[in-house]
Amino acid sequence: MIIEKKCEPASTIAICHLEPGEVIYAESGAFMAMKGPVQFETSTRQKSGGGFLKGLKRLVSGESFFINKFTATAKSQVYLGTALPGDMLIKKLNGEKLIIQGGSFVASEPDVNIDLEWQGLKSIFSGENIFWVKAKGTGHVIINSFGFIYPIEVNGEYVVDTGHIVAFEETLNFEISKASSGWIQSFLSGEGFICRFKGQGIVWCQSHSPRGFGHELRPYLKSKRG
Amino acid sequence: MEFKVDHRPEFSWLTVQVPANKKLFVEAGAMATMSTNMSMKALFKGGLRRFISGESLFLSEYKSEQINGEVCVAPGVTGDIGHVLLNGQKFYLSSSAYLAHSEGVSYSTKFQKLSQGLLSGAGWFLIEMSGQGDVWFNAYGALEVIDVNDEILLDNGHIVGFTEGVQYEIIKLGGYKSLLFSGEGFVCRFRGQGKVFIQTKKPASLISWADGFRPIRRDSSGD
Repeated sequence: MIIEKKCEPASTIAICHLEPGEVIYAESGAFMAMKGPVQFETSTRQKSGGGFLKGLKRLVSGESFFINKFTATAKSQVYLGTALPGDMLIKKLNGEKLIIQGGSFVASEPDVNIDLEWQGLKSIFSGENIFWVKAKGTGHVIINSFGFIYPIEVNGEYVVDTGHIVAFEETLNFEISKASSGWIQSFLSGEGFICRFKGQGIVWCQSHSPRGFGHELRPYLKSKRG
Repeated sequence: MEFKVDHRPEFSWLTVQVPANKKLFVEAGAMATMSTNMSMKALFKGGLRRFISGESLFLSEYKSEQINGEVCVAPGVTGDIGHVLLNGQKFYLSSSAYLAHSEGVSYSTKFQKLSQGLLSGAGWFLIEMSGQGDVWFNAYGALEVIDVNDEILLDNGHIVGFTEGVQYEIIKLGGYKSLLFSGEGFVCRFRGQGKVFIQTKKPASLISWADGFRPIRRDSSGD
């Protein structure tokens, strides 16, 4: 499968060129267009494992409950897009494991196993998604970002604000902690939570934090009843 | 007419050179700057249908008095600007995509079949441009052109416009589970021979994302 990126960096879309029989799973809402004979199916899970519980986990993680499966019956193209302006990362996995921020997952090939991982109680307070998506296997994964995307090669230790993490290699150890040693300092600094990476590997960061943008907008949004 | 589009694709803006005594028609409110010899007139372009369709009831007409002039047009949303030159053929735009047209092109609002309009999310009305001259339209995000020579399926919110020669209908994508849970549900199927212009972003996605940040009001007054 060839996946082409277009209109980078702010209006990025991914065009998946499917050969007959090839499959791509996409997060619901990512679909823009398809050209050629493609079968469309909505399922709660990928491949055999999982089922309802996995679907439920997906819902909680900020990924939608259901995932859409596109199967090409002949040469065809599927166009995928995202809600926020930004870039995409198309990563080909060869057996390694990638951990993706809940809302950044767009699509994956069938031989990539997608699972969700609970990040512990702390992540609830961080305001980010409390699940991260673990992708492992062989094939492409498409990930989106808000703003542009930049890789950081960590060798030793590095600190990233949780809102700016897009994905990272599993070879890295990480620890989520407060930005400052005191709770009040952390709260006042607006940084909230940070992720401290240790070891060797790549962290992909996004130039803007969706949470930051959302909080900027909040005063202008109409309130809804609780 | 001579024109250029700068700062593509995210912050496109259009500059049109209007020859002496010629007219340019622009979406109401979209003119950003212009030369001093341009005279402006608001045109009432028709009543009830436009009122229902949510479009502005007016178009702005800019006429270049005596000498050549220029008008800069900035669309309401950030994104690309496209152009087609009509030479007798027709071109269709979704109601939010219209930006400007030159003299010689006629603008009309077409009622879509009820089932098409209601479900497409693209509005109940399409804009039909016909005649001879320039048509400019705008997108949210970048513009992509897809050649139709058999059939394609499109998410409704991404449709900007299409050429004559393609027909569309609304179909249900997948089974009933898809209808409820896929986030897609109904899509547009285009068939025939021609081109479809799509935008890489859709306002509805941004709005549903922002919805998650709305403050929650906890009151018992029940209003």
